[in-house]
Amino acid sequence: MQIRNKINIWITVAVAGLILEGWAFYVVSASPEHWRPSMIVKDEPEARALYNTMIETLRKAENLSYKSACSGPDDRVCTYQIQLKKPNAFRIGVTNDPSLKINTLVGNGDWLWIYWQGVRPYLNIDDEESYAKTRSEVYIKKANPAGKDSIAREVDLLGIIWHGLILEPSTFHGFTDPLESYIDGVRSRGSYDVRGKECDIIEVSYMKAQRTRYFWICKEDHLPRQIKQIDRLAENHVRVEEWSEIKSKAMIPEHKVTWSPPEGWRRWNVPGPDDVLLKSGQKAPDFDLLSADGGRIKLSDYRGKTVWLCMWECGCPGCRKVLPDLQKFYEENRYKDLIILGFNCIDNKKMARRFMRENALTFPNILDSSQDAEKVMLRGYKNKTKTMPLHTIIDAQGDVMDAWCGYVEGHE
Amino acid sequence: MRKYELIRETFCRRGFIWIVHVVWLVLYGGFWWLFLPNGPEFGRFVFIWSGFFLPLALTAGIFGDDIASGRICVLVTKPLWAGELYICRVLGVTLQATAHFILTGCIVLILHLIMRKGSMEYLGTWLFASWLLFITVAALSTSLSVVVGRTFNSLLILVVVVTVYFILGLLMSSMRQKADTGVLTAFIRYAWPPFELLSKFAGGEYGKYSLIVGRFSVSKSVACVVHSLFLTVVYSLIGIILLGKRQFSRQRD
Repeated sequence: MQIRNKINIWITVAVAGLILEGWAFYVVSASPEHWRPSMIVKDEPEARALYNTMIETLRKAENLSYKSACSGPDDRVCTYQIQLKKPNAFRIGVTNDPSLKINTLVGNGDWLWIYWQGVRPYLNIDDEESYAKTRSEVYIKKANPAGKDSIAREVDLLGIIWHGLILEPSTFHGFTDPLESYIDGVRSRGSYDVRGKECDIIEVSYMKAQRTRYFWICKEDHLPRQIKQIDRLAENHVRVEEWSEIKSKAMIPEHKVTWSPPEGWRRWNVPGPDDVLLKSGQKAPDFDLLSADGGRIKLSDYRGKTVWLCMWECGCPGCRKVLPDLQKFYEENRYKDLIILGFNCIDNKKMARRFMRENALTFPNILDSSQDAEKVMLRGYKNKTKTMPLHTIIDAQGDVMDAWCGYVEGHE
Repeated sequence: MRKYELIRETFCRRGFIWIVHVVWLVLYGGFWWLFLPNGPEFGRFVFIWSGFFLPLALTAGIFGDDIASGRICVLVTKPLWAGELYICRVLGVTLQATAHFILTGCIVLILHLIMRKGSMEYLGTWLFASWLLFITVAALSTSLSVVVGRTFNSLLILVVVVTVYFILGLLMSSMRQKADTGVLTAFIRYAWPPFELLSKFAGGEYGKYSLIVGRFSVSKSVACVVHSLFLTVVYSLIGIILLGKRQFSRQRD
């Protein structure tokens, strides 16, 4: 009887263990690592209202100051001290974890200044020669019209940005994030306590869930306390922005939002992304990479024809606008000696193919996220800032005729 | 009393065991002192050194020595059940590890308080994940010690793990564009000592930087712990069965 009892106990323990492991295996393996259609969020009116309230609160605030710590799984943290003042003034001091230097971005509504403490870092638009000439006692000065520019984009010029800001600070000044028009939906994900403040969590998906953001919005002041962004590219990229020391009626004195250079400092006319691209007459670097249909595409195989090479990615609003135009152009010029060639080395193949299908893109495309493909883009075509879309027109002899970045609304 | 003696034996069976503990603790202190790492950096260091290398050092020849000397024949005679012997040995090593991790935490805390530098963030989770990895690797190594002579159990695990991860790394980089490496990675992830799952759990990938938000994130962490414990039990059961089935001779190897 005792032996039977013991056996029963062991059988029960074994079955319970197996059930528990079955559950654990299911939970561990049910990883959302790969994009799935269910990731596209359907709009929930209440969650959408929370999101809209957060944006409105940001826009209606008289002054706003907060500390933002942006980090990722690589353990590196960038800390931003942000001060925003109406109508278009701001001051952002940025530092990163091991560095004690604070690099600063200041705007007074008309002008924007960027300056560095001590020697400035090497930027991706630099070359050795220009860097040697401009490494210290320089500043950048740019025109800064109210509500039209993204501060988050300018922050990159500070050069110490490991993890950029997720929520665009210019929202405070009335700037609309270009991604706003690509929101699939907003849904609620419950509530959570962040540093003693009760927050609503909402999930916002953009561009068919190519990007997802989670906002922890404080119930008290409707401002975010934490934001998480997941970019589904060839691999998933996660970063987190944490807000603290928030003052929505902060006194920001005038001298904080204007700047004049110390004596002896020189103004540095920073090259734009277009300035560092291949110039007309230079040889277009050849490549042999994977195509969207599983084959290979070699640029030199198109010798004798003019090639319009367009580097794109799904998560770029400009690309989403320009690619359908290019498709139209391709159809109109299909039988002429002009080839439209897409080039995507950033995105997950499944997602890129889906994007191509949805937009009926039939022109040849390279979908290759290998390091070789990335080298072609960064070093070959000198798109050091990874600005998309990047257009390069290559003539029949394989020489560059023209190269430019971006998309201008209404540009034909 | 018998169990206590069997557990105590895991510490006293070889003279170098206490030296291993001391050397490892000095290593942690030295690493903290020299590099002033943040919590996750130090956590990863402890994870590899104490989660993987320490159990290999402590279980080297844990049964192999007794088998080689012929002492195992005395140990596995009635009333001692082979399973009891196995469990006591693994338990002994686990208790050593528990004390080792508590001491590690104390050393880091003291250094942190003295130097007022470095960060303790995530250190608790890293130590817990290291402890879980320790017991899994210890169970695997102990089971292997039943069939592999002398101290080659630890050496074999070390060589196999390093080789497999090296080959996997090569395959992943070369196959990334050509084929799906899912089957291979799934095997390494779920049947192998759970390096990946536990480091993700400890590093906060199922927390702050997880691809999921809310309660599911917590259940994923719990699932990692459960899976790790399940693997420990499976490795131990294999060891107990092998120990029970094997016929030992009194002759020295």
